[in-house]
Amino acid sequence: MISAPRPTPHPACSIAPPDLLSRLASQGTAEQRDAALSALAASASMRTQRSMLSQVRRRLGNEVANQLAGLDVTPERRQTIYDNQRQGRSFLPGVRVRGEDDPPTADADVNGAYDGSAATYDFYRDVFNRDSLDGQGMELVSSVHYGVDFDNAFWNGAQMVYGDGSGRVFVKGALAQSIDVVGHELTHGVTSFTANLAYSKQSGALNESFSDVFGSLVKQRHLNQTADQADWLIGAGTLVPALGKALRSMSAPGTAYDGDRQPDHMDGYVDLPDDNDPRNDNGGVHINSGIPNKAFYLVASALGGQAWGTAGAIWFHTLTERLQSKAQFVDAAEQTMQVAKEMFGDTAQSSVASAWQQVGVIS
Amino acid sequence: MKVSVVRGGGLAGITTRTEVSRSALPTAAAGILDRLVEEAGVREPPAPSSPSGPDQMLYEVEISDDDGTVRVRFTDADLPDGVRKLIEWVDSRAEKIHRLDV
Repeated sequence: MISAPRPTPHPACSIAPPDLLSRLASQGTAEQRDAALSALAASASMRTQRSMLSQVRRRLGNEVANQLAGLDVTPERRQTIYDNQRQGRSFLPGVRVRGEDDPPTADADVNGAYDGSAATYDFYRDVFNRDSLDGQGMELVSSVHYGVDFDNAFWNGAQMVYGDGSGRVFVKGALAQSIDVVGHELTHGVTSFTANLAYSKQSGALNESFSDVFGSLVKQRHLNQTADQADWLIGAGTLVPALGKALRSMSAPGTAYDGDRQPDHMDGYVDLPDDNDPRNDNGGVHINSGIPNKAFYLVASALGGQAWGTAGAIWFHTLTERLQSKAQFVDAAEQTMQVAKEMFGDTAQSSVASAWQQVGVIS
Repeated sequence: MKVSVVRGGGLAGITTRTEVSRSALPTAAAGILDRLVEEAGVREPPAPSSPSGPDQMLYEVEISDDDGTVRVRFTDADLPDGVRKLIEWVDSRAEKIHRLDV
């Protein structure tokens, strides 16, 4: 299902990243150059405002600075890490162990969750000008050491939860320290505040895929990688080695671990019921996400460069502005093609169309 | 009696099965298993399972004995405390058999 058409953004949309804007400003058409220059001016001025407010805060203290908060020019990261002390759901979030301004602790999971959340917040703010998961500066809350040897990490609708891992499925301590796992989970929060993709069958697989896409992009930006340098793996090194190298491969779905059933084409789509049977994975949401994952990888590879600035910008705008909760693969294909045309022009649109054709979503 | 725990969903989407047979346990441990199964209340009709949130684990607990087989399903959001304790105890036993469920 598709939302009603919205006003077409200017060719160089304001969510485009600075490096892309710089390129358009120097190499684009006259229209693209003007749009890019004005977007660059706005983003430069935001950085200046941020820096000025920091100076005010240092000189006058937080109280005065907070009175200036009404100016709404300084998206500020706020996060707190808690220790669940292996007690599970009834003890969430747990004991507070590290706040935004606190130094690292002796606990690697606490620091991993802190650093991953910080990188994810910074990614959304700096690349897409989004202030936290809800776009309104919501505090990022994370609990580590959840439950006893718990083999999972998830977003529970209000906060992040990380288990220690049992050593039978996940390496102990690996989940909270995997930056793309953190980015994946927090992106479920972004999705819940935007397209709110229903967590079942195709819309659920899209929900999963957007989390893989932005989880991977958070890691790629952290490592300053271009699309051709990235490993395109999700959760590399988190599974015990006997199971495999990673949870998912976006470039080669179905190859991440022994028993990985992800298809990379609609011909291999696994049609499972959504019946709360643990074997059926909410209708195959972690299985069929391989198809849109591969499409994103193909687009990022075709456009080249840093994937968050090109393919990532198209996918972000589609997730936050275009898709509705019951969206199917074909809706994602149509909307990403449209957004690609609006943001980057006909060549980008062709690359997106070609990718969705290669995975069999459109013909 | 045999207790089986099937776990799926989650961040990984990997399904595993962990089971323990009462006959493989020392007498004292068998008594503890009886008590945990009783307290888990899985023989009662379960409340309807709530919809799963992103990456939450899905659980199926199966109790098989001479009276037949009882099978109940939960998500992380509605896993009762008694069932959670039973699962953690099964996980903690050296006698358990753990494998991928494919």
